[in-house]
Amino acid sequence: MTLKILLLTAFGGAFVTYFLGKVSSKLRNYFAVFVSLTLFVAVACLYGKSAENFSYFKFFGNTLVLRVNSLSWFFAAAVSAFGALSVIFSLDYMKGKENLDFYYMMMLLVNAAMLGIVFAADLVSFFVFWEIMSWSTFLLISYSGKNALPAGIKYIVMSLIGSMAMFFGILSIYVNFHTLIISEIARGIVSASSGYKIFILVLFGVTFGIKSAVMPLHTWLPDAYTESPTPFSAVLSGMLTRMGVYGFLLFFYVVAGASFFFDIDAGISKFNYILCWLGAITIVIPTFIAMLQNDAKKLLAWHGIGQGGYMILGIAFGTSLGLAGGILHTLNYSICIVLLFMSVGAVEYRCGGVRDLNSLGGLIKKMPVAFAGALLGISGLIGLPLTNSFVSKWLIYKTLILKSHPFLAFAALIGTWGTILSVYKFLHNNFLGELPEKYENIRKSPVSMQIPIIILSSAILLFGILPGIPLKVINTIITSFGFNSLNVNLWGIASETGTLNTINIFTAILIAGSVIWMLFRVGKKSFPVTQDDNYAAGAYVPAGKYNYTADFYAPLFKIVKPYLMDFADKFFGWLCRVFTGFSEGVRKIYAGDVGYYVLYILFFAALLFFVQSGGKSW
Amino acid sequence: MVVSPVLLIAVPLLLAFIAPLCGKAAKYIPPAGALFNLILSVILIPTVLKSPMIVSIGGFPPPFCINLFVGPLGIFFAALISLAGFLISIYALSYIRERAVGKYHTLYLLLLTGATGVVLTGDIFNLFVFYEILCISSYALTAHNAHWHRHGTEAAVKYLIQGSVGSAFILLAIGMLYGFFGTLNMADLAKHIARAHSSVLFIPLTFFIAGFGVEAAIFPLNAWLPDAHSVSPAPISAIFSGIAIEIGVYAIMRVVFTLFGAPLSVMSVLLIVGLLTLLVGEICAFRQNNIKRMSAYSSIGQIGLIVFAFGLATKSGITAGLFQITSHALSKILLFLTIGYMIYSIRMKNYPDKYVTEIEINSLNGLGKKMPLTSLGFAIAAFSLIGFPPFIGFSSKLLIVKAALLKGGIYAVLMGIALIATVIEGAYFLKVVQGIYFRKGEVEGIKENNVFILVPFFILAALIIFAGIYPGILTKILNSSSGELLNRIGYIGRLPG
Repeated sequence: MTLKILLLTAFGGAFVTYFLGKVSSKLRNYFAVFVSLTLFVAVACLYGKSAENFSYFKFFGNTLVLRVNSLSWFFAAAVSAFGALSVIFSLDYMKGKENLDFYYMMMLLVNAAMLGIVFAADLVSFFVFWEIMSWSTFLLISYSGKNALPAGIKYIVMSLIGSMAMFFGILSIYVNFHTLIISEIARGIVSASSGYKIFILVLFGVTFGIKSAVMPLHTWLPDAYTESPTPFSAVLSGMLTRMGVYGFLLFFYVVAGASFFFDIDAGISKFNYILCWLGAITIVIPTFIAMLQNDAKKLLAWHGIGQGGYMILGIAFGTSLGLAGGILHTLNYSICIVLLFMSVGAVEYRCGGVRDLNSLGGLIKKMPVAFAGALLGISGLIGLPLTNSFVSKWLIYKTLILKSHPFLAFAALIGTWGTILSVYKFLHNNFLGELPEKYENIRKSPVSMQIPIIILSSAILLFGILPGIPLKVINTIITSFGFNSLNVNLWGIASETGTLNTINIFTAILIAGSVIWMLFRVGKKSFPVTQDDNYAAGAYVPAGKYNYTADFYAPLFKIVKPYLMDFADKFFGWLCRVFTGFSEGVRKIYAGDVGYYVLYILFFAALLFFVQSGGKSW
Repeated sequence: MVVSPVLLIAVPLLLAFIAPLCGKAAKYIPPAGALFNLILSVILIPTVLKSPMIVSIGGFPPPFCINLFVGPLGIFFAALISLAGFLISIYALSYIRERAVGKYHTLYLLLLTGATGVVLTGDIFNLFVFYEILCISSYALTAHNAHWHRHGTEAAVKYLIQGSVGSAFILLAIGMLYGFFGTLNMADLAKHIARAHSSVLFIPLTFFIAGFGVEAAIFPLNAWLPDAHSVSPAPISAIFSGIAIEIGVYAIMRVVFTLFGAPLSVMSVLLIVGLLTLLVGEICAFRQNNIKRMSAYSSIGQIGLIVFAFGLATKSGITAGLFQITSHALSKILLFLTIGYMIYSIRMKNYPDKYVTEIEINSLNGLGKKMPLTSLGFAIAAFSLIGFPPFIGFSSKLLIVKAALLKGGIYAVLMGIALIATVIEGAYFLKVVQGIYFRKGEVEGIKENNVFILVPFFILAALIIFAGIYPGILTKILNSSSGELLNRIGYIGRLPG
């Protein structure tokens, strides 16, 4: 019953928000925040509960059911948390824009749909919520108009391709196993032939591959992330794209079953490795493409693709360690990227919508909170020790090394290298270097932006120092998949080849840090300089003369650019042109001459005549 | 004894000829007639579900007289026709104001009469007569704009020419059957055909499909449709798209299933034709700049999907097809009506002295702010046509895919191909939705304030959402309808005497 009420609140809240907006915009804003926070609290209260198959509706005589277990709780908690934070962030960011009633309604609707997805225990509910999520996302991406419109179309077309594949798969399962309930399908599918399993997994693989932007299917993502309103970019990158990861987990480990990966059949094991390699490619190429971007959001968007690769890599391996790493990285990455999008949003908000990395810079003193957020966010993305992603990346590397896949591990390492280069550019060009004169009078980010940034920054450190908090939940998830339990404690993880103890690292860093601090204290006194006090190759640079942020990495660009074409995007673009040309041709069937039209009728009759006579009249 | 279903045909027919006598009040006649039919057919549904009603006309026993066969299928269609007819005529109250207003109402009622007659009759020649009433009033209604510009006339003449070729085929087929068996009663004919071992029976069957196929707009017999649907005024486009072409599909299916017992070769041809119609329709719609032509081509696509579902020739397939007919009727009528109102408002602002019925997609930009309810209606209709939940289009697509997969094998593969059409559909409809809501346009001074126009939007949208969430309300009647189509023996057995 609780789940039903929770979803009703989520969906009902979205619509009520719209109508409240007609009364008063203040009331609407508070209500939206209230709804999203209520949902978070409600989901949090479900912690540790495990209720299977709670029916709530009849659809064509099929019972639709909801359930909560550790997997759905984990994702639901993340969805509602990020949802609430981005609604709070929207308060100031969206102030003064038009159609706000619609905007808040859609934000809450997307959230509600995602909660529906993770709580759905049957495939029709899953699909229905999935589609509601798709179309409301489409509307939100298109919200800003102009460039956002093609981005929206690109998103929805790819999303529809994925949904149709899933639709086909779901009904095929239904027809074969006469049930829609996931746990029953999982029992039934054991007896299915491996060919059928692969067929189903390919169909769902396409769907979730598109949603989580695995490499050749990623092309919708950069535009969509860039063109959405920034708080929604955060939701999009933080959770919506990761619904693909949830889908992978659900279909690979719950529906198809973990045994699928263990009863290794030559044909099937390849499927898993194909996915691993796609994951690896997804790590490497996008992180370098990210480096080339000059739009802050686009840079982050490409990281959204790249980091997704780590998750897929971890999940596709199908070992306790890898799976834990993949799932943990989903959460950790989401925290980082939401934080980064919010920092960009804050900068964008104060600098009049500018995101161009060539023209920003030096905002560190003007917007310290946004800077701190960005710094922690990029540290997280890179995976520096004491940040959350360090743990998840450690788990993934460990898996790759344990399973002796040096090439995949190498790819993952290169990815990290690319990440360092590109996120440094991000940090530097936004916050470091010289402050352009026009931004002299920038004020701090508003409180409604600072709150989410501070919360997320603390989460990065908290989960970095005490990774046991999320890992405990993840441990119950992987044991529910039928994997061995990991030896997890609050400050780390013990595995057969080495132990991770974040408290030790924390202490070590604390000690090293205080030693350095002491050295500075006893050493020569430092003196503060202004931001304009710059030197280039020993020569003094007059203030405002040079902006170091322009053409960052220019020499590197020249070297790598030829190799970093987005071939997939080119290919899809070509496909679209071919299709357009083709449809132009098909259109000519209706040439406008009624004489032809009558001929069509006669030809059709003749053809039918011929077919029906069984060719005898020949 | 409940009321006689004959009234379903007689009342609108009578009203059609009373309408011209009523002068100014003529516009209230069609809603009244359609409402009467709607109420009557809903009252009849429980009775008909128990057992079909046979009404002999003229006092002779069948097969010597014309009889009505009011089964679940017939009453379902009659209810759908009168529902659509009622909502569209309310809309037309204020929409149709110019020129041949009186004639419009007569023709509109005749169209409804013809459509209702086709689905209720049990006599093949009678079916042809009603079919012709439907077609001829359609030709005339297409040319409703003829006073204003020649496109209306041109489209009507093209439609007339193609429609006549089709009718000629049908008449030939009926003549042949009458020649072979000496009867026109469908149950009687079915009995004879079932017993006959003639190798020439495929000729009338072929002619029937080619003839009814013109009205049903299957590929490649549908070239009249984009012209006719786009130049006619919105209520006409809506009734054409929502009802008229579905009647063509009904006629094909009645003949193929009931008279000829659905031979596999015909069904496979219909399946392929349906698939081709779907793909060609959607692909053509993709490249249209004119909003009404785009919707017209989308109708072709949807009809293709309906024919595809029927072509499966299983109970679930036919049920799915009928569900898709309902869903298409509701959604497409809403779509055409909303488009019509948008065009009307733009025209009233920009060219008050010109009669514009079609418009470029770009002209709708930015209307979302000025006409929020109409735009919402359009978006709901478009989403439903694409098949997004929780709208009715999703339920019907679900049933169709399920039916195809139940049949398995090659049918599943063809279904997979058919799903590509959904993606194309999504691409072109959502572009328009984006334009309406998120593009800037010159829409100053446009308002929506006509209650008579907005009420049908509201009812249709409510039905689309309600039936999308509770599709179960339709399953009972649709299941018995598909049962009726498949149960040929039962149909023959109903022949009295």
